Amino acid sequence: MNWWVRARLRTKIFIAFSSLIIAVLLATLGFTQIVVSQEVDRTLDGELLTTGEVFDNLFKERGARLETNSILLASDFALKSAVATHFDPSTYEPATLASAAQSWQERIGVDLFWITDELGTVLVASSKKDRSGEAIEDLSPLKEAIDSEEPAAGIAEIDGQLFQLVAVPVFAPDVIGFLLLGEAIDDRFAGRLKRSTGTDVSFLTQDRVFASSWPADQRGRVIPLPAARPDLLRTGTRTTSTFSMEDETFQSLVVPVQSQLPQPLFALMQRSYDEALAPLRSLQRRIVVIGTAGLLGALLIGVALAGGIIAPLQGLVGGMREVLRGNLQYRSRIERHDELGFIAKSFNEMVDGLEERELIRDTFGRFVSHEVAEAVLTGRVPLQGERRDVSILFQDIRGFTSLSERLDPAVLLSLLNQFFTEVVAAVEAEGGVVKQFLGDGVMALFGAPQPYPDHAERAVRAALGIVDRLKGLNETLQEQGIGPLEIGIGIHTGTVVAGLIGPDNRIEYGVVGDAVNLASRVEALTRDMQATILVSRDIAAQLGPAFTFGCTATLPVKGKSQPVEVVEVLSLCQRVDSSPPP
Amino acid sequence: MQALKFLLAFLGTVALASGALARTVSGQVLGEDGKPVANAVVFVQEPASLAPAAAAAPAIMDQFNKTFVPEMLPIAVGTQVRFPNRDQIRHHVYSFSRPKRFELPLYKGEDAPPVLFDKPGVVKIGCNIHDWMSAIILVLPNDRFAVTKEDGTFSLPALDAGTYTITAWHAQSKDKTEDIAQRVEIGGSDPHLTFKLALAPVRARPATRGARWDQ
Repeated sequence: MNWWVRARLRTKIFIAFSSLIIAVLLATLGFTQIVVSQEVDRTLDGELLTTGEVFDNLFKERGARLETNSILLASDFALKSAVATHFDPSTYEPATLASAAQSWQERIGVDLFWITDELGTVLVASSKKDRSGEAIEDLSPLKEAIDSEEPAAGIAEIDGQLFQLVAVPVFAPDVIGFLLLGEAIDDRFAGRLKRSTGTDVSFLTQDRVFASSWPADQRGRVIPLPAARPDLLRTGTRTTSTFSMEDETFQSLVVPVQSQLPQPLFALMQRSYDEALAPLRSLQRRIVVIGTAGLLGALLIGVALAGGIIAPLQGLVGGMREVLRGNLQYRSRIERHDELGFIAKSFNEMVDGLEERELIRDTFGRFVSHEVAEAVLTGRVPLQGERRDVSILFQDIRGFTSLSERLDPAVLLSLLNQFFTEVVAAVEAEGGVVKQFLGDGVMALFGAPQPYPDHAERAVRAALGIVDRLKGLNETLQEQGIGPLEIGIGIHTGTVVAGLIGPDNRIEYGVVGDAVNLASRVEALTRDMQATILVSRDIAAQLGPAFTFGCTATLPVKGKSQPVEVVEVLSLCQRVDSSPPP
Repeated sequence: MQALKFLLAFLGTVALASGALARTVSGQVLGEDGKPVANAVVFVQEPASLAPAAAAAPAIMDQFNKTFVPEMLPIAVGTQVRFPNRDQIRHHVYSFSRPKRFELPLYKGEDAPPVLFDKPGVVKIGCNIHDWMSAIILVLPNDRFAVTKEDGTFSLPALDAGTYTITAWHAQSKDKTEDIAQRVEIGGSDPHLTFKLALAPVRARPATRGARWDQ
């Protein structure tokens, strides 16, 4: 199933569609085969049984009609009179009787018309050869009629042909003779049965076909003789059975026919299975054609549909890759009213949001430090404010007032901006935030909004960084004849309240607390002590041995009842074992 | 009719008894099972010299209620038989029998002429328009015959002394009369004869489809 997992969506849709259509097609074919076969079976059985009944009725009716006609004819006085002439040889004229017999035969339309005397000796016979004088008293059913003096019926073979026979006595008023009348069971009769039932009928014994509705040249191919096919009779009477001949399958019904033949006589009803199934074959061919057309159509629709789904999806995937690469200008151009349209719209809205956020971050960052902007945008600044341990750095340019008077304003601003660029770079290099530009000075925070455990050390390293960067700047300034800038930096550490401060329309991130004021005072002391960097004792205590300290002083601070102990920071030692501050 | 016959027979017997050698032959006809057979005819077959010299009075076979009455009529050869029709419909009486072939086309009452039976034998009579109507006229060589009663007994008219062949006939008999004939010497006493007949079972006439019972 790995290939399926890895397969492209287009392939999956394609395979799913094809499989469904093929499954439906096969199921339809199978179902049709089963249902139609059963139906054909049932229909054939029904038709065969009907044919069997029709055959029975026809046979009985024919026998009854034959008997009735014979009885009526035997009651004809002229016939009696003519038959009785044989009693008197002096007046008996066989030719007259034969001629009359021909007339009677035509009158009732039978195939065989014989007259015998009261003992069963032929007087006249409608056969090619002259049979007069022949004793046929043992020919059934004449024998039964002679014995019973009643009409008798039966089937017998005469001159190689089957006849349905009736023998009736001629009474005048006692028996003076018999009429033996018969209808041929021949191809014509079988053909008539077939015309009325649509079923092929054959009359056969073990090894001989007497009559059949099949054309003579086909009989050998389609009629099974019981002698060669014992299975034909094994199924019993009135039960249909299926059997195959050379190249055709038949549903058949075998009806035993009472006869006086030495071998049992059967009527075999046959219906071709293949012929009956022909409509099914035709139906199946059509289903296959329609199914194939449906399959092709479905595949085309599948391809088109897959294209309609896949192409926009691929576009969106490409768009996402673009956005991942940072191209927030990318917009999906899919305009649809379905789910894909919704996805595309949502994608565009998402990229809009991303772009807007980027713009805000960008713009925000110009006015606040990136650190603050990031902290605010990522929600790391709690709206209700928080207490934080921070280090606050104040920096000031000494003699700035005289410098501002000396210099052209543009040059002054340029100078300031160059300087602040260095200050900001130094502060941000240590993870601090330039909170405020105070004219020629800067207030920077370490440990807020981004918390750092070593915020004091970071603040001091930033201060040393500023001093270091100032050296380079001063060289340039001296070349420009402006002279070097001198600065003072004061750092203090303590707990402050940090948060968003200001009215709703001018809110900014800030810190308030005594530590801020003290840091500012520490910076002010740099002038008194002619020091560049002064830190409060609290800071110095947190610094590691890597720093070199200068003089220490305890000075009164404005607004503070207690004097504050400050320490000058000179540099970062190259030596790790530098002596700790006093 | 029967009464008349008996009277005649009686008178004949009386007349012959008055002759010195006249004897009465009596006896019984039995079936194979020993039961008496009624309506059998016992008659003198030979000698031929017994043939009646003069024509007897015509015999009568009525048609009444679409039935021949009697259904069996023994007569001496040379007797005429009338076939009066006492029904309200016509009948067409015929016979194709060898001893007498005749036809009396549709008629009523006494319209039909008498028929002369001039050859001995069994004459089967029928009606062309009523298949079930059937009768037999037994034409005998002479007038010395008797019909058995219910108990099978008979008594022939008186016969002079001499040798006679006497036989019996019945409509259902399978035996030929020649085969059961008995030669009888008539002399000093009245002989008593017994005939045994093999009778075929009585056959209904299904060929007429039971119409007999559907009048």
